[in-house]
Amino acid sequence: MSKTLKGITLKGSAELVAEFFSFGINSILYQRGIYPAETFTRVTQYDMSLQLTTDAKLKNYLTNVISQLKEWLFDCTVQKLVVVITCLETNEVLERWQFDLECDKTAKEGSAPREKSIKAIQEEIRSVIRQITATVTFLPLLETACAFDLLIYTDKDLEVPEQWEESGPQLIDQSEEVRLRSFTTTIHKVNSMVAYKRTNST
Amino acid sequence: MDDMEDDTTIFSTLKSFKSLISCPDRSLLETEPAFGRSGLQNLYTKRVELEEAAERVRSHTNLLQLTQEKQQMELSHKRARIELEKEANSSSRDLQREIDRNRELLLQIRRLEEREEKANQALNEQMENNKALKRNFEELHKKANEKDSKLAEADQVCVCVFCISVCRKMKKSMPEYNCSFNIKKLSLICALLPLICAVRLQELERRLALQEQDSVIVKNMKSEVARLPELEREIKRLREENTFLRETKENNSLLREETEGLRRKLERMERAMEEKLKVEKPEDLSREVIQIQQRELNLKQQNYTLNSSIRSVEKARTELMPEIAQLRAKAQEEQKKRENQDSLVRRLQKRVLLLTKERDGMRAILESYDSELATSEYSPQLMLRVKEAEDMLQKVQTHNTEMETQLSKAQEEAGSFKLQAQMVSHIHHHGNFLLKIEELESERQQLEEQNNILEMRLERHNLQGGYDPVTTKVIHLQMNPTSIAKQQRTEEVEQLRVECQRLRDRLRKIEAGGGMTTDDTTLIIPPSQEILDLRKQMESAELKNQRLKEVFQKKIQEFRTACYVLTGYQIDITVENQYRLTSVYAEHMEDSLLFKSTGPVGSMQLLETDFSRTLTGLVDLHLFHQKSIPVFLSAVTIELFSRQTVT
Repeated sequence: MSKTLKGITLKGSAELVAEFFSFGINSILYQRGIYPAETFTRVTQYDMSLQLTTDAKLKNYLTNVISQLKEWLFDCTVQKLVVVITCLETNEVLERWQFDLECDKTAKEGSAPREKSIKAIQEEIRSVIRQITATVTFLPLLETACAFDLLIYTDKDLEVPEQWEESGPQLIDQSEEVRLRSFTTTIHKVNSMVAYKRTNST
Repeated sequence: MDDMEDDTTIFSTLKSFKSLISCPDRSLLETEPAFGRSGLQNLYTKRVELEEAAERVRSHTNLLQLTQEKQQMELSHKRARIELEKEANSSSRDLQREIDRNRELLLQIRRLEEREEKANQALNEQMENNKALKRNFEELHKKANEKDSKLAEADQVCVCVFCISVCRKMKKSMPEYNCSFNIKKLSLICALLPLICAVRLQELERRLALQEQDSVIVKNMKSEVARLPELEREIKRLREENTFLRETKENNSLLREETEGLRRKLERMERAMEEKLKVEKPEDLSREVIQIQQRELNLKQQNYTLNSSIRSVEKARTELMPEIAQLRAKAQEEQKKRENQDSLVRRLQKRVLLLTKERDGMRAILESYDSELATSEYSPQLMLRVKEAEDMLQKVQTHNTEMETQLSKAQEEAGSFKLQAQMVSHIHHHGNFLLKIEELESERQQLEEQNNILEMRLERHNLQGGYDPVTTKVIHLQMNPTSIAKQQRTEEVEQLRVECQRLRDRLRKIEAGGGMTTDDTTLIIPPSQEILDLRKQMESAELKNQRLKEVFQKKIQEFRTACYVLTGYQIDITVENQYRLTSVYAEHMEDSLLFKSTGPVGSMQLLETDFSRTLTGLVDLHLFHQKSIPVFLSAVTIELFSRQTVT
């Protein structure tokens, strides 16, 4: 609405990025098999078919995190979003999908909207998600049962909301990193990368 | 074996008794009559003692016999009891069976009774149906008979009619013929009549049926047709009503619109009426109107006057504005002039003051000069001093000017020197600068490399997820899938551990109890009926086994004692297939014969023993020549017996 009519505002950009994260995280969970494939349903978004979970608890968790993230995007206080995949048997971190956020702080509430078409942004998002799907080919198989967690890197002085707590960065011991594509709405820039635990054979 | 031992003791005591008896005889014989009387007394006492001993022995044997009898009685008792129990069991089982059979038979009887009742009921129903059918049949039969009778009558009538018609025809056609001829024809015709009549009957019946159907249809049609005019009348009426209602509906709508219009008009009129003043006569109206008009005119006049005054005032204002501006400008100029004048005045005043001071000073000097002139003593000294001072002043002034020129020259030289020095120093430092540039370049390159390395490290750090704790912090939701999954896992592990422990305890108890499954777990398998039955069977079988063993034991004992008593030999199996025979009349306990079983047929061979060596004669005779073991054994018995008995 505000996006399509007058260009990108801060609020519109926050919504676009939050939407991207919602679909991106669902794609990662489906591709890596964290949840069984039959709990996902197909939807169309960004002119491609994506998988969205139907598990009620998981949906609830994701909406909680994404809605809080949207607020922080609006305030430009969030720096990174990380999807951490942990092996349940050994309690080791096996994969980290990291999304760096750069916010243009000059774009405040009332400033003029930026000129960038929604189509172009969606095209960029589409290529990022395609790349995420493609990386699955070279990532090591997750053979054991795994669970995931969402970490958010924010400014030090941010007030931590009620149900949130501080945590460690949950880094991978001996990791390989790959940088993926990025996209920008002229107000928020999202850089994607994936880090995975080096397997002994490599 | 107790019995055997008892018997052997009996026989041994008998032997000893006999030996005692024989010994004293010998001893008596050996002793000489010198001991005649004492010998007799001794004999007598010995005899008494012996008799007592014999009595004792006899009582002992009685005791033994009695005990033996008692044991036998007990045995027979036990046997009888066992048999009675068996009989009781079997009888109880039979009874059970009979009871079960009884029950089954009763059930069967009941079932059969029920079936009988049902069959009876069915029969009754069938009978009733039969009766009803019979009645129907009779009725139909009657009807059929009636119909037949009717038909027969009709038949007859037809026949008569036909005859009459035929007769008439005949009469008409051939009146001249003979009556006999007619009669013949008539007879023929009469013979043919029934056939024709039957045919006609059938036709008529068919027509009747059709007619009946038609009549039924006609009746229905009549009733329907009778209804038609009524329906037509109703239709007409409804159509008229319809048209009427439609017209009224149109009228209704028109009237409603009219009423709406009138209502609105009425409202307007009422409003108008409320607003108007309470004017009853038209004169008042006109007065009012005139007054209002006058007021209007007055107001308009006032308005015009006010407007004109406003315009004039505005014009005056606009004319006055530039004048005001001019005057303001002039005032400002005047003010400036005044200020200037004031400043001039101040300066002039200052000058005046200075001048007056100078004049005063000059006046003072002049006065002093005048005073000096008046006193001429000190004036040449003062004059000299003044001159000297003036000379000094001049010198000083010239010195000053010289110094100034020198200073300027020196400054010029210094400037030129400086320039030269700078030129020299430039040339000198150029070499240093080059070196420095090279050093700085190399440093720069190193720093660039370090910078690159650090940037790479930072990038790597960033990719791996590191952050600066001073500016950033990491947060996540407390209830996240990983923590929930970990919690579930620990709970699962705990549950499994508890179950494992429980199962281990149960297993230990089962192994210790050996079949006991009573514990506090919920998995108690109730001992099934089969297991209980099997246990009972097992117990009874064990009991049986035990009893059989006892019985066998007793029987074997009996048999062996019988063999010993009857044959005179105690047969023991020492080693497999070897039989040791001990004679009842054996002189020593270890005198025994050994036989070995050769082959399954039952053939025996005598083995060498100490005792058998003493019986070589018998062995040769009976075994080698006669080849009969029983004869040999009996011969041995006789031999031993003969050895033992005193003839």
